Amino acid sequence: MTLTARGLTLSVEGVDHLRDITLDLRPGRIYTVIGRTLAGKSSLLRVLAGLQRVDAGTLTQDGTDLLQVPVWRRDTAMVYQQFINYPHLNVFDNVAFPLRRAKLSGEQVRLRATESLAKVGLSDFHARKPSQLSGGQQQRVALARALARRCKTLLLDEPLVNLDYKLREQLREEFRELFSGVGDSVVVYTTTETTEAMMLGDEVIVMHEGRIVQTGTPAEVFDAPATTTVAQIINEPPMNIIPGTVTGGRMRLNDLGAVDLPAHLAGLPDGPCQFGLRATDLSLSSSEGLRGDVTFVEISGSETFVHVVIADIPMVVQLEGIHDVSLGDAVLVTIRSDRLFAFSAQGDLLVAPSEQGGR
Amino acid sequence: MAQLELLDVGHCYVPGEGEDRWALKPLTVTFEAGKTYALVGPSGCGKTTLLNILSGLVSPTRGRVLFDGADMTRRSTRERNIAQVFQFPVIYTSMTVYQNLAFPLECRNWDSRRIDAKVRTVAEALGLGDRLKEPARKLNADDKQLISLGRGLVRDDVAALLMDEPLTVIDPQLKFSLRRRIREISEQFRPTVIYVTHDQYEAMSFVEELLVMKDGQVMQQGTPEELFESPRSAYVGYFIGSPSMNFLDVTQDGSGVWLAGQRLAMSWQPPAARVPAEASGAGAAQAGVLQAGIRPEYVRLASAPGPNTFPARLQAVRDHGPLRVLHVEIGGQRLALKLAREAGVPHGDTLLVELPRAKVLPYVGGQLATVVAG
Amino acid sequence: MSRAYLTFKYAFIAVWASFVAGPFVWALTTSFKDANGVQGGATYLPWVDYKPTTRGWQDIFGGEGGVNVIQPFLNSLQITVLASAISLVLGSLAAYGLSRYTYRIGRMKNADIVFFFVSQRIMPPIVLVIPFFFLLQFAGLLDSIPGLVIVTVALLLPIAVWVMVDFFNNIPREIDEMAMLDGCHPFAAFVRTILPNSLPGITVAAMFCAVFGWNDFFFAFRLTFTEVQTLPQAVVALNSSIPPWWTLSAASLFGISPLVLLAVWVERYLSRGNLAGAVR
Repeated sequence: MTLTARGLTLSVEGVDHLRDITLDLRPGRIYTVIGRTLAGKSSLLRVLAGLQRVDAGTLTQDGTDLLQVPVWRRDTAMVYQQFINYPHLNVFDNVAFPLRRAKLSGEQVRLRATESLAKVGLSDFHARKPSQLSGGQQQRVALARALARRCKTLLLDEPLVNLDYKLREQLREEFRELFSGVGDSVVVYTTTETTEAMMLGDEVIVMHEGRIVQTGTPAEVFDAPATTTVAQIINEPPMNIIPGTVTGGRMRLNDLGAVDLPAHLAGLPDGPCQFGLRATDLSLSSSEGLRGDVTFVEISGSETFVHVVIADIPMVVQLEGIHDVSLGDAVLVTIRSDRLFAFSAQGDLLVAPSEQGGR
Repeated sequence: MAQLELLDVGHCYVPGEGEDRWALKPLTVTFEAGKTYALVGPSGCGKTTLLNILSGLVSPTRGRVLFDGADMTRRSTRERNIAQVFQFPVIYTSMTVYQNLAFPLECRNWDSRRIDAKVRTVAEALGLGDRLKEPARKLNADDKQLISLGRGLVRDDVAALLMDEPLTVIDPQLKFSLRRRIREISEQFRPTVIYVTHDQYEAMSFVEELLVMKDGQVMQQGTPEELFESPRSAYVGYFIGSPSMNFLDVTQDGSGVWLAGQRLAMSWQPPAARVPAEASGAGAAQAGVLQAGIRPEYVRLASAPGPNTFPARLQAVRDHGPLRVLHVEIGGQRLALKLAREAGVPHGDTLLVELPRAKVLPYVGGQLATVVAG
Repeated sequence: MSRAYLTFKYAFIAVWASFVAGPFVWALTTSFKDANGVQGGATYLPWVDYKPTTRGWQDIFGGEGGVNVIQPFLNSLQITVLASAISLVLGSLAAYGLSRYTYRIGRMKNADIVFFFVSQRIMPPIVLVIPFFFLLQFAGLLDSIPGLVIVTVALLLPIAVWVMVDFFNNIPREIDEMAMLDGCHPFAAFVRTILPNSLPGITVAAMFCAVFGWNDFFFAFRLTFTEVQTLPQAVVALNSSIPPWWTLSAASLFGISPLVLLAVWVERYLSRGNLAGAVR
């Protein structure tokens, strides 16, 4: 039942969408694909679904060459980021549609559709048309339709991106429950958000410019991002990357004065390198630290992201809670050097700070 | 820029409807000149009605609208002299960037030298200084939206800038830069801005004060920090912050407040004599319930028993990346708390959590019990 | 809004309404007149202004000295219904293809192909009628209902395609994709999910087809002789050196009656169709 992709490559009108994608997607596991917009996430899903032809590569499942199987004979369900339902059918018929196409008995159809709608909390809405539902409810219908089929492959393309924040929070939590009931399906879920990728995925696949740049458990990827690019994609706000040099056991961040290497970086070879620091490992202080100017303040959830410029390096400081920080203010920023990541000048991970939290 | 005042303004779309069903229940608000405000709330909360009353598209069922003290209630949109930015960029596709920005001034017969200076200043601020000659239709969506904004900024005499979900059609990747631009521009030009959005975090990222609305009422007005630190109602506590504020049912007797059989100290004591339950509707049963509210950010894991520490059972751990959200249970009630990633996942499912006294707020019937009634 | 403006607005609407309705009222009253009734100026009130008679109506249903329009009516009905149905079926299929797949004919792409369809209606009809004449002659279909059906389909198809392409373009592609993922063959996806969601569009297309098909005079006039006569031809044939206005009026009213009934019946679909096209 493993879905095996080898060397999938796709370019449309000279633009590369997928480059040499090789993956083994095992049943019963949830894969979250994280990447920026246009990283190739949607293309990958469309290829897995059979909606998009590829230029090269193979895709097999149970020994079948899936690329030879047309969409309508594959056993794949998909949830789009727009709320796609059949507008002319009511909620129940929407969910029943694929079941009827699969020639299930009337009783089976009724049972499965009812059960699936109950799971997403829409038991009281069977007779409504999708247009009479809120965005969140419409997406629940789409999800119920996908779940009712019990497909071998379940694909979700940024299903929460068009919902408002509180709904996202709520559905994110519900998805965990819903996915735990999908048995031996392969679930692939694309997102741009760290929280979704970390919370929902058994494994995280990081994509950038059509390539897979890292795969692993959420903790593996988050705690040891293979490159600076991965470090920036998997962190929200993106990890601060600071050019620096190492000379004789001392390090220098950009133009700042040289300091002793922290213990965990002791083995670093001399030469130019890049240091990475999560926004959570910077903080504002009233008494000591590096002088920075506030250029922008963003609030996300319960966190305040303070964008500062320190010695010409733009950095983001993440504060817990919501704080009123004014633009243009001069602030003092303290850096936790024991939390520094070291990357080579080319951007490959050299040393990551140790994590107590690995599961 | 003008100060905008709404005096006892209310609106209903169905004439003769009971006041409790009005789209906007009578309220009095002052928007100070040069400050930025956001109206936030779920769809149907009345925020768009309020905006339309300010712009003159809707004439309120009752109350008065004042701009710098002058009564504007029955004046048309044009007479109110406001600039608006809508969800979709409104630009003249046949014109260049320059012509787009100059158009509102040409319509007001400014002389060309004055127009030129003003257009260049604004274009510079928008970051479009070197693209003035380009046809406007060639710009991407966020630059187009900047031009819509710029057309409001070129006029010195605009009373206020009203923005209705201006980032809706903007690609998520571009939202950040556009948000930052708009914030910088409003710092530079200091217009009175009323910004409408359903995204509370987007709003908090660039206004000075928020008005959280629900069911046609303003639930709370304040800075983002105020809304976060002391939400005046359980709704605001839920709406602002992620995860939402925790609310735990507690009991009160002569000796104090009790949670799960233990004493709970609060930042201030709730009024002993409870506000009597309002004798109407289903809310009556809820009206007198006393709850303790605390943000997940402020709940701590404790290593040893102490004041305000409670034994809790670990129910679930959610990995959010740099931090984890722990769902625990105290005496059958759910509580979320945030834990830094480096703290690791606690061993075993029995924990001790501390609810710091200074951060626990009393709520009676879903309202912050700030005023001692009776 | 000022009172003067309101007054002006309603006055304008009243003038426009009478401008539009006037000819109908005139035709309606005239159809109940006779030679005496149409003498002198226009009169509108029966029994007061003139003596009503059903002479005109008798004439068109086989009365003495008149022409029976029943057979032409049935001919027109057959041709319009058949041609519209064929055009809608072929047109929606063609339009779906043009909306969902990319075609290339030399340098022409989808949009050019759609324009190519419509451009047939830009040509003066006289240019088309000559080849049609020879084609039908070759097939032995001149002066026959099948022949006219074929010609009418050729005339209606561009309209159907043009209306439907626009409509299908407004239905998200994800809906057919979803249907295919749900186990539908592309044709089944079209029939089960796209067609039911384009009812307003189909109605608009059908309405256009019915109107154009029903009102065609030119092609029927050139491509039939004695065997087949359509209603517009029959109405024109009623004319003579002294126009029998009452008979002509009755025939015209009878001629437009199916369209009026159709319009009333589909009105709700039609307005939804217009709306759906407008809110893009």
